[in-house]
Amino acid sequence: MADAPVIDVAGLQKRYGSIDAVRGLDLQVPRGSIFGFLGRNGAGKTTTIKVLLGMTRPSGGAARVFGLAADAPGASVEIRRRTGFVSEDKELYDFMTVAEIVRFTAPFFPRWRRDLEERYMRSFELPPDAKVKTLSRGTRTKLALLLALCRGAELLVLDEPTAGLDPAAAEDVLQTLVVHAGRDETTVFFSSHQIAEVEQIADRIAIVDRGRTALAGALDDLRESFRRVQLVFDREAPQASFRAAGVARVRRQGRVLTVIASGGAEPILDEARALGPVSVDVGPVTLKEIFLETVASEE
Amino acid sequence: MLFRPNPSLGVPIYLQLMEQVKHAVETGALRPGDQLPGIRPLAEELVINPNTVAKAYRELEHDGVIELRHGAGAFVTAHGARGKAADTVRAAQPVVAAAVERLRARGLTDEEIRRLFEAELAGLTRTGGQRG
Amino acid sequence: MLWYKAWLETRWRFVIGLAILMVSACGTVFAYPQVMRLMPLASTVHATGELGRRVQEAVELAREYRGYIWSQWFRQNLIQMWTVFAAILGAGGLLSQSSGGGALYTLSMPASRARLLGVRAAAGLGELLALAVVPSLLISLLSPAIGDSYSPVDALVHSACLFFGGAVFYALAVLLSTIFPDIWRPLAIALAVAAVIAIGEMFVRDVWPYGIFSLMNGETYFRSRHIPWAGLVVTTAAAAALLYGAASSLERQDF
Repeated sequence: MADAPVIDVAGLQKRYGSIDAVRGLDLQVPRGSIFGFLGRNGAGKTTTIKVLLGMTRPSGGAARVFGLAADAPGASVEIRRRTGFVSEDKELYDFMTVAEIVRFTAPFFPRWRRDLEERYMRSFELPPDAKVKTLSRGTRTKLALLLALCRGAELLVLDEPTAGLDPAAAEDVLQTLVVHAGRDETTVFFSSHQIAEVEQIADRIAIVDRGRTALAGALDDLRESFRRVQLVFDREAPQASFRAAGVARVRRQGRVLTVIASGGAEPILDEARALGPVSVDVGPVTLKEIFLETVASEE
Repeated sequence: MLFRPNPSLGVPIYLQLMEQVKHAVETGALRPGDQLPGIRPLAEELVINPNTVAKAYRELEHDGVIELRHGAGAFVTAHGARGKAADTVRAAQPVVAAAVERLRARGLTDEEIRRLFEAELAGLTRTGGQRG
Repeated sequence: MLWYKAWLETRWRFVIGLAILMVSACGTVFAYPQVMRLMPLASTVHATGELGRRVQEAVELAREYRGYIWSQWFRQNLIQMWTVFAAILGAGGLLSQSSGGGALYTLSMPASRARLLGVRAAAGLGELLALAVVPSLLISLLSPAIGDSYSPVDALVHSACLFFGGAVFYALAVLLSTIFPDIWRPLAIALAVAAVIAIGEMFVRDVWPYGIFSLMNGETYFRSRHIPWAGLVVTTAAAAALLYGAASSLERQDF
């Protein structure tokens, strides 16, 4: 039974003046998944997120959340009622205290979870009477997370949730996301350029580069289909172009020819062996390498 | 007992988890009838995706290492790894030890030895030299 | 809770403004006996031109307490300070730095932009009304202390004229703050507009006696006890139009 994706973006475009931040981006985020949205700085991640939450209007294409149009003001209010959001800069109201900002936020959400509020106030060690502007970045992030999680939201959207955090704080954040994901079918959508954390908790990813989706799919599938094939020659490695599909990159260095294949090793092994190498090595490719190859392939 | 998988290894996390469970069964850390942690609690403890744990458990069940009892949880099966007695694995240990010693004697570092074993196991193809 | 946030954001500006105006009100009342004592000397002062005319007029008005309060308080102290506060309260906009950087957080709340602006504007207007009425009523309250009396009805009518006449400046500041992200430009522009209008009105007085500031100080009511309904309706409508413009401007923005 196919479930409609929680986030469905097709051909999204956003232009700021003369800059195309997003140039035809596609994205489908299934319900209940932990979805990692990877990309370099300026690739269009934050812009896409802002479009989803109605903060920015698209120049073209369509973005839907819960099946509702993200650029329709009325629908956008409904989307935000069911979504928890943590922005990239974790900016909250400097002039309010922790308790005040909770008191500000809770009435907007009829499904506010007081039990979670109490639990996270304690486990995140948030001082209720401290002014937000006195909080460290890590504590502010946890506060932003609490404010997003206690809404009883079906979707959590986080822009670089662990940016600037020490490993222990970052792990706390990731653990909190894992605890909430899949509970009551909550979907977690987070953007990051920390490959390790995406690999750790995401089950699906999309790599966005220069305003477009360069690669998307289930993380396990991607890891199984990307293979590094290394050919060692007893002479200078030949200039080779592979006719087989799914060759992401071919690199020549001295006597070694390295091929990164995105469709498994099989399709290129015959061509590889025909080149007469001394040895053929097939190995896995880490997500970091997949990412680097994907965003570099146009250079 | 189960420690955090390394996401950057290039080996899928669910496979790493499966290996940990199988290793625990083979060394006797997990005995037949022992209950494994629940999917969600284990995911939360290791800070990994619950689906990954679920997949590992499914594969382990498929391999006969564990059985998933409806509503009750995951339990180590009576015969542990399918058909494979723990003895077989224990008997294999000196074979590995000897191989490692020989490779060390040849001057290979532990890191090189590890890479050779991993490469061999991760589904490689090694072809003999084709001299041109 | 948007009202709660609006209050937290503006409370110090409001409280300080109220304190200043209350002190000024006291000062105005208790200065009167001194003014009366200096009255005989006033006729020896001769200034020329528009300024001279105004000084002469002020002296004449001060002979009577009601006239003194009108010319000193409603036509000078209160109207000047209140207009400044109208600009200050309006310029600390919804999404400007003064809200402590949480613009995206506010926008992530399930509230339409119109509602965000509406609540903020209403809270500000409520505070401005208090800033007009409370110090003015204080004058009525304190006047017996110097042996005079000032009708609370007069105080209320004049404050209402001030509020409904001057709300345009608040609305202008709000509109400007949806255009500029900082608080200084909306404040500066709104104050500049007010200053230009005030000065302009002074000079064209002979040709065109109607003006927004004379509406705000309730001159018609002072002189003839006729409440200037028409003018107040016009200014209220203009303020509403400016706020509507602010909401539209906000609606169209990308953050």
